[in-house]
Amino acid sequence: MTIDPTAPASRTRRHGARAAVAASGWLALAVTLLPAGFPLRWVPVLLFVCLGPGLALLHPQPRGLRPGARLEAFALAAPLSLALAALTATFLFLVGGFSVPAFLVPLAAFTTVATFLPGLPLPAATRGAVAPADAESFLSRERGPGGGR
Amino acid sequence: MGEEAVPARPGAPERKDGGRPETSAPHPRRAPVPALSRLLPALLVLGLGSWGLSLPLTDFRSMDDYGLLDRLPVTFYASLVILTAGFLVALRRAGTSPGWPLVYCVGLLVALKAAPAVLYDSVRYPWASKHDAVVDTILGAGELRPHAALSGNMSAYDQWPGFFTLNAALVRAFGVESTAVYLNWAPIVLGLILLPVLVLLYRTFTEDWRLVWTAVWIFQLANWVGQDYLAPQGLAYVLHLTVLAVVLRHFVRPGSAGRLRDRAALDPAAAAVPPSTTTRQRAVGVLILSPLILAVNAVHQLTPVMLCVVLAALCLTRRYRNLGLLAVTGLIMLAWNLTMGRPLFLETLGTLKDSLGRLTQNSRAGYTGQLTGPGPELAGRAGIAMALAVVLFAGIAVLARRRLTRGALPLLLASAAPLPLFAVNDYGGEMLFRVYLFGLPGAAFFAAAALVPAAGGARRSRAAVTRRRVTAVALPAALLALTAGFLPAYYGKDAMYYTPPAETDLVVRAIDGMPAGGLLLATSGSFPQALHRYDDVEHWWFCEQDPAENKRMLADPARYLADRIPRGVTAQVVLTRTQDIYTSGEGLLPAGGFTVLRDRLKASPLFRTVEEHPYGIVLVHTPPTTTPGGAP
Repeated sequence: MTIDPTAPASRTRRHGARAAVAASGWLALAVTLLPAGFPLRWVPVLLFVCLGPGLALLHPQPRGLRPGARLEAFALAAPLSLALAALTATFLFLVGGFSVPAFLVPLAAFTTVATFLPGLPLPAATRGAVAPADAESFLSRERGPGGGR
Repeated sequence: MGEEAVPARPGAPERKDGGRPETSAPHPRRAPVPALSRLLPALLVLGLGSWGLSLPLTDFRSMDDYGLLDRLPVTFYASLVILTAGFLVALRRAGTSPGWPLVYCVGLLVALKAAPAVLYDSVRYPWASKHDAVVDTILGAGELRPHAALSGNMSAYDQWPGFFTLNAALVRAFGVESTAVYLNWAPIVLGLILLPVLVLLYRTFTEDWRLVWTAVWIFQLANWVGQDYLAPQGLAYVLHLTVLAVVLRHFVRPGSAGRLRDRAALDPAAAAVPPSTTTRQRAVGVLILSPLILAVNAVHQLTPVMLCVVLAALCLTRRYRNLGLLAVTGLIMLAWNLTMGRPLFLETLGTLKDSLGRLTQNSRAGYTGQLTGPGPELAGRAGIAMALAVVLFAGIAVLARRRLTRGALPLLLASAAPLPLFAVNDYGGEMLFRVYLFGLPGAAFFAAAALVPAAGGARRSRAAVTRRRVTAVALPAALLALTAGFLPAYYGKDAMYYTPPAETDLVVRAIDGMPAGGLLLATSGSFPQALHRYDDVEHWWFCEQDPAENKRMLADPARYLADRIPRGVTAQVVLTRTQDIYTSGEGLLPAGGFTVLRDRLKASPLFRTVEEHPYGIVLVHTPPTTTPGGAP
């Protein structure tokens, strides 16, 4: 099924998803103000740390993602997010400057900024993985029809 | 050398059965089967329902010889059979409804691994509490101390701290006391994160969704090695496979695919080789991968080695000869090892000359003993049988589906690449399991290829019909056999993995009562909270040595230990139920040896009993003034 990425509904949905990702880090930061051990702290924090930065980096393509590229963006989002979170936390402990805001604020800011930038230029994310073999720059290539893998 | 101009065909419709589109005249489209639509949710609800019902009936506190195996009720085993049946039904429509196999794969993950998380009132795997202790210590210190030279190489956790600092941040952000609150759920979370990565990896080499999901299913069943608990290896493994997936999809060199661009040269189920990328594109790819590679290094010491070995193996193919990526990966690893990881790295280099080439020694499982007792022996045998079965199936596919193998050769190489590490180091008796773990994604893919015949392209020859009939029986039989193998391999030793909270409390009390610089003695480190306050207290696991030496120790354990306790050091011996099960199950002590040890220490004037319960005893060393000193 081909989805017209320029259709208003599709555009609205994409903008909504983009705004949700952009705000996810700040929401996670806000819920840490709740009392310690409060169950509501878990979900926003876990979702943001596991998915937020990765989705922000991979998802916002100018015309949305092809079906095959959606799988790639979804599969890579969590590992990428966790990698960035682990590096951030390690740096903070290395300099003896760890605190929850010191951990979440840079990640949230990074996520917000990344959400409004073009997504990472992985070929499959921009035009689907299956394409003729002769290499044309994936930065300029238009997507072909159909899904990739 | 030039790439043949046979473009892949994006967007071609998939068959309903998940196979490749037909190249000849299509079969008439089958009418929808409404019964199937109802059957899939019904089997899922039934499977998960009977799994849920089985949990309250599981008396895990009375686990004995067979661990959780003989404590799980029939409904638990029935749930796995029902989920397998549902998955097989879902496979028939995998091409058009990949959601159902996905749901069943998640269902299998929950059914296989969530039971301890729901049931146990303490940490599963006593050594997982070591990781909890590391997180506690990092939070207490507020900083990393990679060069602190702590007892038992515990500084290594500060040298590759990424996993622990991440969990420290989560503990504070969740507002919980420690990782123990969520620790038992790690296999589910890591499994959920790994699942789409596996799908991505497999979709790179096949367009047949049935093959993808069967490979994922087999991977889950064959992943009995227990490295998906709250440990650095679990996260590093996900990151490693992510890097591998990106490389396999985006690092194909131009003009290297040759005949593989020709659809006629491919297996009907094979995917076209991903489009090639220019040098500039691959350079950007290296930049994108760098944080992931750096994170692999920050999290775990062995996985970067595996990653370098795998990337080097991929360089053997023309398609993935990316020497720049290999160099960057190697440099990042070297930089980390020479800075943060310097102490352990240099120590390991120093011991390499002893371990190099000792294949049998490096491929041993565990420390030095033999698994003893019905449950551990069954678990050991089941693990070996599972590994052999997966390798056998994979071997069949490699030989029988050569065109698929040619296309997926990089995956085969990536899975076989860690094997030479047997020649390098034993990794504390863990190398066998780690090599198996890193080889598993490819092995599961090819094992699935042996069980799922190509759907498209083949004419209805007698051989093809026979092959399909055989696999129609072989696939369910193999999945059920692997399920039967997984259960003893994963749950057969749970009597040593589950520790009653009272035992944990006893250990914490004992260690809290010790002064800074005190020495904690125990038979092994496999008991809950063994490393509580490890930055204050030294420890000596005195049975983690050659079992023959342990027999000598048992002749007069009090004298043996007292002679090796440094003069002037406050030393406590903690012996617990979990240690008893572990030392006998792993063959460190002979049958009844633990009781002998306990009784002789109690009776000795060199030790005084501080606290005694059915689940453990704490004794303090009371040295006579004439006792000669020594070093543990």
